Amino acid sequence: MMPIWTKSGEKRAVTLLKVQDCHVLRYVSKEESGGKTAKLLVGGKNVSPFSKRESAHEIFREAGVPRKQKVTTFNVTDDALIKPGTPLYAAHFRPGQFVDVTAKTIGKGFQGVMKRWGFKGQPASHGQTKTHRRPGAISTNKAAKVYRGKKMPGKMGNIYRTSFGLKVWRINTKHDIIYVNGSVPGHTNCLVKVRDSKLPTYKDCNKNPPFPTFFADGDEELPEDLFDEEIFQFTDPSVTFA
Amino acid sequence: RGSSDGKPPKFRPPPKPVIIDRKTQKEERRFLSPEFIPPRGRTDPLKYYIERKDMIQRRKVFNIPEFYVGHILAVTTADPYASDKSNRFVGICIQRGGNGLGATFVLRNVIEDQGVEICYELYSPRIQAIEVLKLEKRLDDNLMYLRDALPEYSTFDVNMKPVSRMEHEEIPVNTLQVRMKPKPWSKRWERPKYNIKGIKFELPEHKMKAAQKWSQPWLEFDMLREYDTSKIEEKIRKELSEELEK
Repeated sequence: MMPIWTKSGEKRAVTLLKVQDCHVLRYVSKEESGGKTAKLLVGGKNVSPFSKRESAHEIFREAGVPRKQKVTTFNVTDDALIKPGTPLYAAHFRPGQFVDVTAKTIGKGFQGVMKRWGFKGQPASHGQTKTHRRPGAISTNKAAKVYRGKKMPGKMGNIYRTSFGLKVWRINTKHDIIYVNGSVPGHTNCLVKVRDSKLPTYKDCNKNPPFPTFFADGDEELPEDLFDEEIFQFTDPSVTFA
Repeated sequence: RGSSDGKPPKFRPPPKPVIIDRKTQKEERRFLSPEFIPPRGRTDPLKYYIERKDMIQRRKVFNIPEFYVGHILAVTTADPYASDKSNRFVGICIQRGGNGLGATFVLRNVIEDQGVEICYELYSPRIQAIEVLKLEKRLDDNLMYLRDALPEYSTFDVNMKPVSRMEHEEIPVNTLQVRMKPKPWSKRWERPKYNIKGIKFELPEHKMKAAQKWSQPWLEFDMLREYDTSKIEEKIRKELSEELEK
């Protein structure tokens, strides 16, 4: 995470996400998948092929791509289909877009009720016998049962969570890095899924993104860094208020 | 060249020429700002490389002078609520923290009997000028104890003139021993974990001995805490010099 400054001198915190060897692996049609839209399987981050059995390599062999660590699905409309085997780059996103980021949260192991659910526990002194971090009562007398989903101690973390509506501030096309506003679930160097935001406020925010995706061998020549309008670029002189 | 007696004059060999190599001398004393050195961790070095590019870009446009803890600096920032839209603060640098673009330094001064500390970000675009008024290093890296010292040690004239200094001179170390206000202090500065050499402790002997109970003499031999930055520093110095010459 890094600080960036806007043109008015305010500081924002930004997370750097690297797009590492992403390829489209397979196209699954609407009827096959049984959903509302067609799906595209995308894999990211190359990994050695020797740690899995041969049958798992079929998808990668068909697409002509080395074995990937993670395969995710994206729901795609019919006009945005991409041929399997095309690489995906960070330039697929543009500064000013809004994005949802999904990742597995940091695993905390088996945790008690105070850390996992934020219960208040009991006082440290004034006669408490062996009860300082316990949940206390778990149900009422009349219910005569414990409801399903009662908050109790258990394994915490290591589940998929999404941060919605994160603004993209800057894109580095040379190293394929996306600068995304705020924090993102997961530990450093963990695999993350970045998707166009589905929040209703940001439905019309994408102004002319590369459609269906950014192709590296196309005619477009992008500069090394793409900045948002409001970001302060370090090539400018210091901010002054008129 | 005859001498008074008949003997020839004693042979004095000519003085050996001493070659003063200006280049090596300069390189030995080059200063690398501490925020360039990446901390120990599991982050990808690519992230530090990209941050460094941004830092170098900012340094090309705006001059950040070399300074240590103990220097007296004057910082002008852009302030939207001031009458002439800028704000100048003079103070002694008591702490430098942070890595990369978020590097900060804290300036302290006592203005009209009120101690004021302001934490500035080195790479913030609101800073318009940083001037070094007086160069002197102190005995410690962290001068937070000035909060508990007598206010005369933290007062500096706001309209101080910059003290001139030659380029190749060494930065003088001020061995000032500061006198403290009576206890209680904000931190127990006599304890060995702070390792402060710049205070004149006027505490009784038994209290100083009792403070040594908290010493951890095994820490300096702990090999897991060793972080050798010499090779990393050399690489970063090379990178910096290449980029700044462009």
